[in-house]
Amino acid sequence: MAIIEGIGLTKRFGFGDAAVVAIDSVDIRIEEQELVMIMGDSGCGKTTLISLLGCILTPDAGELRIDGAEIDPLHHDLSMIRRDKIGFVFQMFHLLPYLTALENVMVAMDIAKTKTYESQNRAIELLSRIGLSERLHHRPAQLSGGEKQRVSFARALANHPKIIFADEPTANLDSRQSDNLMNLIQELRQEHQTTIAIVTHHEGIKQNADRIIQMKDGRIVDV
Amino acid sequence: MKNLFLKDMQYRRARVVLTALGIIVLISLILLLGGIMSGMRIQAQQYVKSTGADIWISAEGSGGAFIGFSLLAEEYMAGLNSAQGLVPDSASPLIFAQARPNIKGKPTKAMVVGYTLGELGGPTQVVEGRMFTQRQFEDYRPEDDVPYEVVVDEKMGLQIGEIITISKERVRVVGKAKSLMFVLDTPLLFMDVRAAQRVILENTPYINMMVAKTRHKQLQEQIGLNAALQTQDQTMFNINNLQTAEEVAANLDALDTIEARSLNQTLSDILEYWVDEPMKAVQFLRVMLWLAAGLIVGMITYVTMLEKTKEIGVLKAIGASNSYIILLLLKQVALISLIGVLIGYCLSYIFAAAAPIFVKINFVESIIVACISFIVCCSSGYLAARKAITVDPMIAFRGEIDSAPIRYVDMQPVETAATQD
Repeated sequence: MAIIEGIGLTKRFGFGDAAVVAIDSVDIRIEEQELVMIMGDSGCGKTTLISLLGCILTPDAGELRIDGAEIDPLHHDLSMIRRDKIGFVFQMFHLLPYLTALENVMVAMDIAKTKTYESQNRAIELLSRIGLSERLHHRPAQLSGGEKQRVSFARALANHPKIIFADEPTANLDSRQSDNLMNLIQELRQEHQTTIAIVTHHEGIKQNADRIIQMKDGRIVDV
Repeated sequence: MKNLFLKDMQYRRARVVLTALGIIVLISLILLLGGIMSGMRIQAQQYVKSTGADIWISAEGSGGAFIGFSLLAEEYMAGLNSAQGLVPDSASPLIFAQARPNIKGKPTKAMVVGYTLGELGGPTQVVEGRMFTQRQFEDYRPEDDVPYEVVVDEKMGLQIGEIITISKERVRVVGKAKSLMFVLDTPLLFMDVRAAQRVILENTPYINMMVAKTRHKQLQEQIGLNAALQTQDQTMFNINNLQTAEEVAANLDALDTIEARSLNQTLSDILEYWVDEPMKAVQFLRVMLWLAAGLIVGMITYVTMLEKTKEIGVLKAIGASNSYIILLLLKQVALISLIGVLIGYCLSYIFAAAAPIFVKINFVESIIVACISFIVCCSSGYLAARKAITVDPMIAFRGEIDSAPIRYVDMQPVETAATQD
């Protein structure tokens, strides 16, 4: 069953002659528990595509289905969909600098109105699972790049998302950290039965993918 | 995680402290200015009320007692003493004039009050020393000796027997009266009306005003003193048939040569002339300070919001609703405003106690002012925080979260990435 499906997705930026078609009539389907990598040159529309699929951007044309339900930007609360069904991992980690690793994971559950003691238990469980039980009370400035990215993954997993979108998660990691992270992603996918879509142009990690979607100039050119 | 906003505030504590400091200064200034005005109102009224008079007469065209220049001949007193509605022979001459006495070699501001001892217009007893000596002759005779004696306000710091100079005349301090400062802590110097005519009016037979008491007020005072009278129908019948001070003043005011005011009208005139008019600029300043307080909170919230744009974008990307973001900022604004207003409120009382002039902060008014200030600060912060909901979550996909310099003292040495992963 497709966990997410886009049909004829189109996104333009700008108006008139200055308009740029970032995503041009893209059809995409990601199956449950799949690990998909979206690859392509810089500026080909990878990030725009996951922003559309992750309900951060709304398409100018096309249809989007998540977990079988059609998403209508005019009638759906997109922040609620992002909160309940989607997890994000960013290239620059984007952990809140004034919170500890534990609190950074808890904040995602705070947004989802999870009770504090429940969110604390889950955050500890997630961080322990990814090997950061000794770093619970460290702030981002006290963590290495790899640790920050793992905290970022724990935050993405916090609300039991249907799918996690990761934007260049290994871009700021060295090869050893990248391999460790990819191994962890594989394990977490199995344990949490989560679908993962990774935007990357890091050739070294593509062997981990179930499927690779190749993009060029706002279109999918190869699946 | 209920204390997310507190952690953010702790992280940006320098900004929080500066914002709160701005609010503290402005709120205490707003309250202090209100206290100064309130103090002026109290001081403007307390002497007038203390005289026991409820009819105040000044020269025609003076605008009322204590307002414009007024010179009256004492001869009017004769007619006044038999006027309808007034207590017979209650009319008393009064000189009330600004002076620049030289006290301990320094020119000082003061009001000279000349009146007849035992009559309306000034204190009948002192808290230390004795009252000034009364003049020997009732009629004005320029060649008569007058006692150059003065009763001073107890807060002036003068000693009994000390000599002060008023208009080149040496006047001896013989007593101290209970403090009855006039507006802006201007002390009152009480002396015989003839002495006042010598030192202030260059020995001319004039007075500034006349004061009198109505029979209506006299009977009211008697009822106040004798509770048994309150139940007597005859007494109530009498008081209802007597002219009120306003009615007596209106009748006297109809005369061509004088202006007459009741006590209430006089108090109202004084407040308007001595406090409200000159304090218009202060009132304006208070409103400006309110705006400044609101502006400070609004600007700092806005700047904070700009600084946190990426952070807000990330929160939105991971599912935070607009109301969650606004609430996060509003909690901070409300807490900073509350701290600022509360400390400013307390400080205003400390400043009031230490102020060199009489400042009376009205409790109820200060609470209302504090509440309004809190609302102004929060509203301003809310307007700035609303900008946060326009932040595009797409921003989360690019760049780093701008973070303030790390200030934590609990920093641990970070192991290298290679050893960790």
